[in-house]
Amino acid sequence: MKKATIFFMLALLATVSVSAQKYITKNGYIRFFSSTPVEDIEAHNRQVNSALDQKTGDFVFKVLMKSFQFEKALMQEHFNENYVESDKFPNATFSGKVKNLGDIDFTKNGVYQTTVEGDLTIKGVTKKVSEKGSFEVKDGKVIGKSTFNILLADYGIKIPNTVANNISKTIQIDVEVNLEKLAK
Amino acid sequence: MKRKILTAGAALAGLGLITGILVYFFLFNKPHTDYSKAEADFEMKAIAVFEEFRTNPELASGKYNGKVLSLTGELTAVEQPDSLTIAVFSYEEGMFGSEGVRFTILTEHAGSVIAVAPGSTVTLKGLCTGYNETDVIMEHCSLVK
Repeated sequence: MKKATIFFMLALLATVSVSAQKYITKNGYIRFFSSTPVEDIEAHNRQVNSALDQKTGDFVFKVLMKSFQFEKALMQEHFNENYVESDKFPNATFSGKVKNLGDIDFTKNGVYQTTVEGDLTIKGVTKKVSEKGSFEVKDGKVIGKSTFNILLADYGIKIPNTVANNISKTIQIDVEVNLEKLAK
Repeated sequence: MKRKILTAGAALAGLGLITGILVYFFLFNKPHTDYSKAEADFEMKAIAVFEEFRTNPELASGKYNGKVLSLTGELTAVEQPDSLTIAVFSYEEGMFGSEGVRFTILTEHAGSVIAVAPGSTVTLKGLCTGYNETDVIMEHCSLVK
């Protein structure tokens, strides 16, 4: 966890120190969704820190696991205590780069399809990911969106046999960040 | 004898049904905690919590994450992104702009917080979910005074 935090801080530092133009938000949104024939489970987090460096393409976000809100209180308890162990691993982070940064014209409104590659860390386990998404430039703001899937087992998240039919092994993650220019 | 067995069976079935209903309503469907009515685990100045997280995040996380905090400080701003109402106490300028404590206000308490003038000293209570390298995050918050 300590390594992940240091890495995230270094990534942030790099993002901000090199660039002339940064876009940030402290109210990014992440939803995860599990669907099985037995039940659908989803959780929402609207306090996500995220930054995009227009010059380097560095893109990072950081999520507090305890900020995920579930419809059912019991599921929220199980999520924090048993599945992601949020006392031990309070954060999930992504640190990576927009691969085709040159395709985005930050001066022109429009939706630009992108691929973001980097390290996704959940429950202290870091995996390389490469996901498609879009950045919409709109009146000086940038709205980043992506939907992708992760395998719980990849991040050491074990589902007990008693609820194995209720929780999907693959979870859909939706990310939406409304980034604004960092005023300096 | 047969009647006694049938009566006992019916009683057991009834007990099982009642147990099932109770488990469903009080365990599987138990309501979320109403943090506006919860007793605070810690009552303190917001800047003190921020400093603890900033100087030793791991120690502070172990102490405050998942706890109900009642924090007093000067209201810097109230932000309203999307459907949220977020009260902000700012203490530093950092990589992400201002840094401090951010309180997501419960919908039913948003009006009372929006009515407070920036610069006023207020006490806000809610659930501490952690520190994200820039801010201490508080959820399900309400205005105490």
